Amino acid sequence: MRETFALVGFFEILMVLFMQWEIYTKKIITTFSISSYIIALFLFYLGIVQNSPYVIALSLISAFVRGFFIPWYMKRRIVRDHWREREIKPVVSTAMSIVISLLIVVFAYVLYRVTFYNSIHLVEGSIPMALLLQGAFLIISRRNAFIQLIGYMTMENALFLFEGYLFPGLPFIVEAGIVLDLIGIIAIAGVVVRMMKDSSADVGEFDELRG
Amino acid sequence: MLVFLSVVQLLYVLLLSPLVFGILSKIEERIESKKGPSIFQPYYDLYKLFRKEIIVPNHSSPIFHRAPYVSFAMYSLLTLVLPIITAFPLQFGPTVDFIGGGLIFGAAALVKKLAALDSRSNYSHLGLSRAASMGALAEPITVLIFIMLGVISGTNNPYVINNVLQSSSKWYLSLTHWFVAAAFFMVLIVELGRLPIERHSTAELGMIDQGMSMEYSGMDLAFEKWGGYVKKFLLMSVFLNVYTMPFFVPMKLNLLSVFIYSGVHFLKLLGLVIGIALFEESISKFRLFKNFDYLAFAFSLAFLSFLAFYTTVGRV
Amino acid sequence: MNYIYILPMFFTLAASLLCLVKKTYFEEVVSIIAAFSTVAVAFIMVFLPSYTNHYLYIDGLSKIMLIMVSMIYASTVTFSTTYMKYIDNPSFEKHFYYFLMNLFAFSMLFTVSVNDLGLIWVGIEATTVTSALLVATENTETSIEATWRYIIIVSVGLIISLLANIFIYSVTDTLNVQQMMQGVQTNKILILGTMMAVIGYGTKGGIFPMHTWLPDVHGKAPAPVSAAFSGILLAVALYAVARIMQIVNVGMVKEFAFWLGLLTVATAATLMIVQRNYKRLFAYSTMENMGMMLIGLSLGKYAFIGAVVLALSHAFAKSSVFYLSGNILARYKSKKIEDVKGVSQRMPFTGYTLFFSALAVTGTPPFGTFIGELLIIYGILKYFPLFYALLVISFLLVAFISINYKVGSMVFSKPTDTVVTERKRVGTIVPIVNTSLAFLVIFFVPQINQLLSVGMIK
Repeated sequence: MRETFALVGFFEILMVLFMQWEIYTKKIITTFSISSYIIALFLFYLGIVQNSPYVIALSLISAFVRGFFIPWYMKRRIVRDHWREREIKPVVSTAMSIVISLLIVVFAYVLYRVTFYNSIHLVEGSIPMALLLQGAFLIISRRNAFIQLIGYMTMENALFLFEGYLFPGLPFIVEAGIVLDLIGIIAIAGVVVRMMKDSSADVGEFDELRG
Repeated sequence: MLVFLSVVQLLYVLLLSPLVFGILSKIEERIESKKGPSIFQPYYDLYKLFRKEIIVPNHSSPIFHRAPYVSFAMYSLLTLVLPIITAFPLQFGPTVDFIGGGLIFGAAALVKKLAALDSRSNYSHLGLSRAASMGALAEPITVLIFIMLGVISGTNNPYVINNVLQSSSKWYLSLTHWFVAAAFFMVLIVELGRLPIERHSTAELGMIDQGMSMEYSGMDLAFEKWGGYVKKFLLMSVFLNVYTMPFFVPMKLNLLSVFIYSGVHFLKLLGLVIGIALFEESISKFRLFKNFDYLAFAFSLAFLSFLAFYTTVGRV
Repeated sequence: MNYIYILPMFFTLAASLLCLVKKTYFEEVVSIIAAFSTVAVAFIMVFLPSYTNHYLYIDGLSKIMLIMVSMIYASTVTFSTTYMKYIDNPSFEKHFYYFLMNLFAFSMLFTVSVNDLGLIWVGIEATTVTSALLVATENTETSIEATWRYIIIVSVGLIISLLANIFIYSVTDTLNVQQMMQGVQTNKILILGTMMAVIGYGTKGGIFPMHTWLPDVHGKAPAPVSAAFSGILLAVALYAVARIMQIVNVGMVKEFAFWLGLLTVATAATLMIVQRNYKRLFAYSTMENMGMMLIGLSLGKYAFIGAVVLALSHAFAKSSVFYLSGNILARYKSKKIEDVKGVSQRMPFTGYTLFFSALAVTGTPPFGTFIGELLIIYGILKYFPLFYALLVISFLLVAFISINYKVGSMVFSKPTDTVVTERKRVGTIVPIVNTSLAFLVIFFVPQINQLLSVGMIK
């Protein structure tokens, strides 16, 4: 189980690095979809090993919502506005953001070792932490609204991985609520993104939002 | 006996290396639904070049004329010390380890770059500066890869690494090893000058490695090209024998198994070549500045192997 | 099962569904009826005993929050009926606005009455979902950009608090508030989790490290939405912090929260000096008050009561300020302080009410905020050296001067033309009522104390 978790975790980290590398929004969404499916598969396996119907149900829900529904919804949105298909000018240059993302993984490892490790005693716990911070960095390093959303959902994926492996058994109603909220956020974000004009690619123009 | 095998290995590499690239271009042409050149085309080219007249630029120094021979000699020396058809050290095996091999590779590249600088041609300079800036970033990755292999095997000897990976499935299946292998594959693509990095066409402005031998002709060019084939053949062999497919390589001195393995090795190379061809046909060339993103990703793979070691195996 | 405790949620939810019916003025009437019934139920609940079952947890604090949320909700809905006319190019139709507003109120009422830290998280995240589009009511590029910043920053902050919930769960094996109130064993993970919760919910509450969305949203949202945001939404986020700090009663966490609060007050007070946009100015004032509340929550005892009193009176005063800023914006068509001159002569009611409510939000004596801040400063004096109290007081003074100076320059300066253009209608009555309520809070401090300690008024 530990090996599987490490494998899944490192694969996820790799996926996020790949997202940092990629500039086409569609490919990033597909990558996210694959990574969600992998997490769902891992949770499914976990549910079978622990013989817990809740975890299995959760894995199915998460596969449907994150693996299928949200990527499908976002891709449909992208087809409508073509200019959003590619990140033209990221905040941090691509090579730099890959390296920073890597450094974040190291930082998360060190941070985890210094703080949580004393109480949790599982080295692998640093992987979801790293994913969490990487997701946050994906949000910071890009201007494209869809990619920022993907970063947010990567963070949420990391939490599901963390919680599913280390502390299984969060009340089901809470998890269902979380998934429901996620759908809400994505739907609202889709509407807001739709309202945004082309200029959202350049945040610097909004003088009124300074200070 | 070891001396005899060394000579066999040298001949094996020198004679077969053009063939591999003939096959590669043939496969690619076939995928593009073209007929393509014969798989022996590199031999015909070399034969033709050996009979042509040598022309040297007016202002060049003697380095220019000698560089192809020096680099060819260096690659031949490397052939004697790397595990190609055997997993036990041959006569000259103990002379250098991986770092030493890397240094000789670097020295050969340096000689080529000096010669390119010496040719006083703008296109050569263009290719040189690109190759140098790519190399400056690719070198640390290579070093990191060597270090990680050192961590796995406790030594820098390619033969030992091969034996460790061949005999221990724990190491072979570890994340650490596969991250290193993936990183090396990405560096390999850079060194081979294959597609996402460099396109083999006649457009001078897109050239990187190709541009450096722009001014050569005749026998000089033949050796330059042949040296290039040998270098790529060696890198591919190292990738297969040490990193990804360390299996079947004979670990004990047995003539028959070595000869059988020579065939097997060629099959492995064919598999790799087919893989590269498919890879190349499915992507397009990066813009020049995107190459550095590519290298950054390769670096992060090598570094992740470091982290994977600490989180899964090392558990310090 | 005592159905009265879910009535507020039921009213708002039903009203929001009814708002989907397309009929002129129907949605306004329905929303107002629902809002005032909610207020009535909230007041009835004060006299009922505390109640808890598997899903609900309603004690004194929840009751005060219910009153606060329902009253500001009622006044906001009432004010919206006049203000919506001034929005030139709304992003969506009016009935959709009321639909969202009612859902927004529902999610806040849900948050303060559930018996599960996980569901509290769900409720607070639901407030983001329901309120995001409200910010973008005015269909301009900047307001949509502000909405986007709001969604992303707040969601990321809430991810941190979700992680905090997971940590807390890993230690206590339950997220049930009632069970956890009985006492939890503390260890490092729990403390770390609680700190993360303070940061995470603090994001939504405008607390220091991740407060940057707050001035953008308050600056760009329409006036009633800004009022609801700074009056109740931020306080509801702090309610979650208060609950968690009630459960995990550890010195380290409290000190952490105290420092965050102090930093929030300091940042807000210093940034207020340079503000030239009055809506952003009031947004920073909200931030400063939230910082004070967090300090109060962290100190406990009298300071806790102070924080609750401050929250209540600040909600009334600040909502009034934002309604009035909406009136001014509708008349002057500018958000810059230097463009607004002579409000007291051109719009006398708005001008004088703004002056008084600006005094109220800065904690001037006759108002409830003064009592709240006094109690909090008393708490600081009790637990920390005099220097810290003086530091906080000096920041409050900076805020006081910069707000009242700027508001004074808007209200009492010489107008460019002296035509009186004010209509004495709902738009001026609602702020007047709210400002007087901010004053009346002081008479109910003993009742608040009793509610917090016993849970009901006999």
